[in-house]
Formats: sequence, structure tokens, C-alpha cells
Amino acid sequence: MRNRRGLSNLIIVVLSLVILVVIVSNVILWSYQMNQLDWEKMQENVNVSNVARITRSSWFVTQNEYTINKGGRTSSSYLDTQIMDNNYESFRESSPPRMFDINGTFSIDLSIYPLVHIQSVEIQLKYRVDDTGEKWFLKAYDWTSKSYSDNGFNYTVGHTPSLGWNYYAVNLTNNWLSYVRNDGKILIKVHDQLPDSTRTNIEIDFLGVRVAVSGALFTLQNKGSRTTHFVSIWVNNSTEHKRYDADAFVNSGETISYQRADIQLPSGQYTVKVVTERGNIAVYAAR
Amino acid sequence: MLKMWWNQRAITPVLSNVLLMVIAVAGMSIAITATYVITGNLRETMGERFIVEDIWFRTDTIAIYLRNTGKMPIDVAAVYVDYRAQSFTALHLEPLDHGWLNVTLTWTTNTVYHIKTVTSRGTQSADYYKSPT
Repeated sequence: MRNRRGLSNLIIVVLSLVILVVIVSNVILWSYQMNQLDWEKMQENVNVSNVARITRSSWFVTQNEYTINKGGRTSSSYLDTQIMDNNYESFRESSPPRMFDINGTFSIDLSIYPLVHIQSVEIQLKYRVDDTGEKWFLKAYDWTSKSYSDNGFNYTVGHTPSLGWNYYAVNLTNNWLSYVRNDGKILIKVHDQLPDSTRTNIEIDFLGVRVAVSGALFTLQNKGSRTTHFVSIWVNNSTEHKRYDADAFVNSGETISYQRADIQLPSGQYTVKVVTERGNIAVYAAR
Repeated sequence: MLKMWWNQRAITPVLSNVLLMVIAVAGMSIAITATYVITGNLRETMGERFIVEDIWFRTDTIAIYLRNTGKMPIDVAAVYVDYRAQSFTALHLEPLDHGWLNVTLTWTTNTVYHIKTVTSRGTQSADYYKSPT
């Protein structure tokens, strides 16, 4: 009889121990996990140091060598046409008929500047020629008519160069959508006016495309010791509270410029709040 | 006759032994299930975190924007404005989810309100908010 009771007691003691271990380990593990979550949140130190309006994007430049239809390259490469620094790529008109015609491929970053928020597109060329007797033209590929055109450009009569560096900029005005493909691709052509008696040398220091937008630029700082993920941006004023989804990671100790073409800052006083995934909020008051 | 009586008595100890074991195992099974349920509830309560991203005083409404930063889904069970329960639109948020919680209240301008949001598991967030002028 004592042995029988002993077996039952043993079962109860062992299972009670198991239950006790399960409860204690669960509680310890979960409090460890949630403490870590809270600790990470406490270690986060974020700041919005500046908020500014933006009306134009940065320049988008070609990432490939130009396609030369007429004429030839004499020195350097497309890399020298990416920054205005007086380092240039040199070309020369073709032998008679003396003509020049090149195409470049440019890509607008639609992840930052979605098509719906683009107001217009601008093209800028910085170049130098040794013959100022003929005009130079900028055109873009019209994806609708499938040809290069300057229809709708604010300036279509070409640019008459002078000696030294010349700046030639055109705006695609309201017709820009015909020239930008759904993936942001835009093809630009640079060509001379007509065959002439001089075989012109042309040096291109810069050729780029940028978009006109009405957006905002946020300077986000992470002063904490862990990487921060910004998940939402609020732009509040006395009449409206607008929330925007955000997706920006900032490494520890780093500052980033976060551009948004879809966020229009209100006039007058407003407050910008930036929220992190861990639940911290940084505030910027604009006056 | 004696042998037969002896055999009948032998069945009782076996039965009682088995019965005791069955009772012990069944009892402990119930205890383990109860433990699972209790620790599950505890875990859910411990895993709740949420923040108030924004408060917007609108016409006859205080709109509270909540973000679930914890590891458990949350349901808003009560909203107290100045320690009085208010009616509100139901809100369920999965982890990392976010949304508006509209509290029906005729507020007055330039007044400080104590607003407390409580989830179904009892987690709360409370702070003072001043209405616009």
C-alpha cells in the first residue's frame, strides 16, 4: 500500500516540477525579451535637425557611355560628364558631312520622385566648342511618337554658343510625361544644327536631367547606439494633421537627408514629427 | 475454496494502483493545461506595447493615432478623458500596425485634457494634451 502511494506521489512531484519549470522559464524568457525591446527603445536617440522645402531633385546623370550616331569620341568618357568640374568628354564632328549626334540614357529615381508628384523635367548641358558658327540642340525621346523631339520644350530654337563654357538648359514643361517612360527612363540627344564647313570639336563637361517637384527634405540624425528605422512622418499645423508612411534606416551616429516629393510643407507655423519603429518620436517645429 | 478467495483479493490492489495513477495523470494534465493558458495570458500581457503617435482635436472628436510597437495584437478596450469613459470607434492593431482611434467628445478650446487609452489586456498609455486655441 505504501509502495502504491509512493508511485502516485512520485508522478505528482515530477509533473509539478515540470509545471514549475515551464512557468518560471516562460516568465524569465518573456521578460528578458520584452526588457530587451524596452532597453533598445530607451537607447534610441533620434533628432530632426532640419526640414526644408525642395523644388528640384538632384541631377540624374548617365550611367553608360553615350551612343554616337554621328561624329566620334576623341578623349575621356561619360564619367567626366557627370559633374560640373571642368573635366570633360571630348567629341568631334564626323568627316563630311560634318555633323554631330549623340544619345544618352538617363534614369529618374521614381522611388524618391514618383511620376504623380513630378511637375516638370529639366535638362542641362554644359559644353564648349571651337566653332561658334552653328547652333546646338537638345532633344528627348518621345515614347508616344517613338522619335526624338523637342515638342513642348520651353526653348526649341537651339543654343548659339560662345567661346568658353556654355550652359544650355531646357524645360520640358507640361509635355514632360511623353518623354519619361514608366520606369523613369529618359533618352537625351545632343546634336548640331546642319552640316557646315568646319569640323567642330565639342567638349561636354556636364549633361544631366532633374525633375521639378514640390516636396520636402528632412535631415534625420541618429545619435543613439543602434540603427534606427523611421516609419512615419507627421506634418501638423493648426488646421491639419497629415501622416505619411516612411521607410528610412539610419545607422548609429549618422545623419541622412531624406527627400520626399509627395510631402508638401504648409505655409506658416507647422510641426514635423518623425516616428521610429521602436516607438520614439522626434519633433521639429518650423516657424 | 481458499485458493479462489485469494485470487479475488488480488484484483483489488491492481485496480486501485491503476486508478491512482490515472487520477494522478489526469490531475496533472489539467494542471499543465491550466499552466499553458495562464502563461499564455501572461505572455500576451507582457508582450503588449503601443504608443500614441498623434492626437488631433477635430470637431466633436478627439482623434488618437496609435501604433502597436509590441509583439501581440491589441484591442482598445477603453478611452478615458479626464477619468471619464468615452465612446470610441473600435480599433484592433496587429504588431507594427497603426491607425486612428476616434473618440466622440465635444471638447473646449485651450483646455488641458488627461487622455488615457487602455487595451483589453490592461496595458495603458496616458498623458495630458492641450486642445488648440
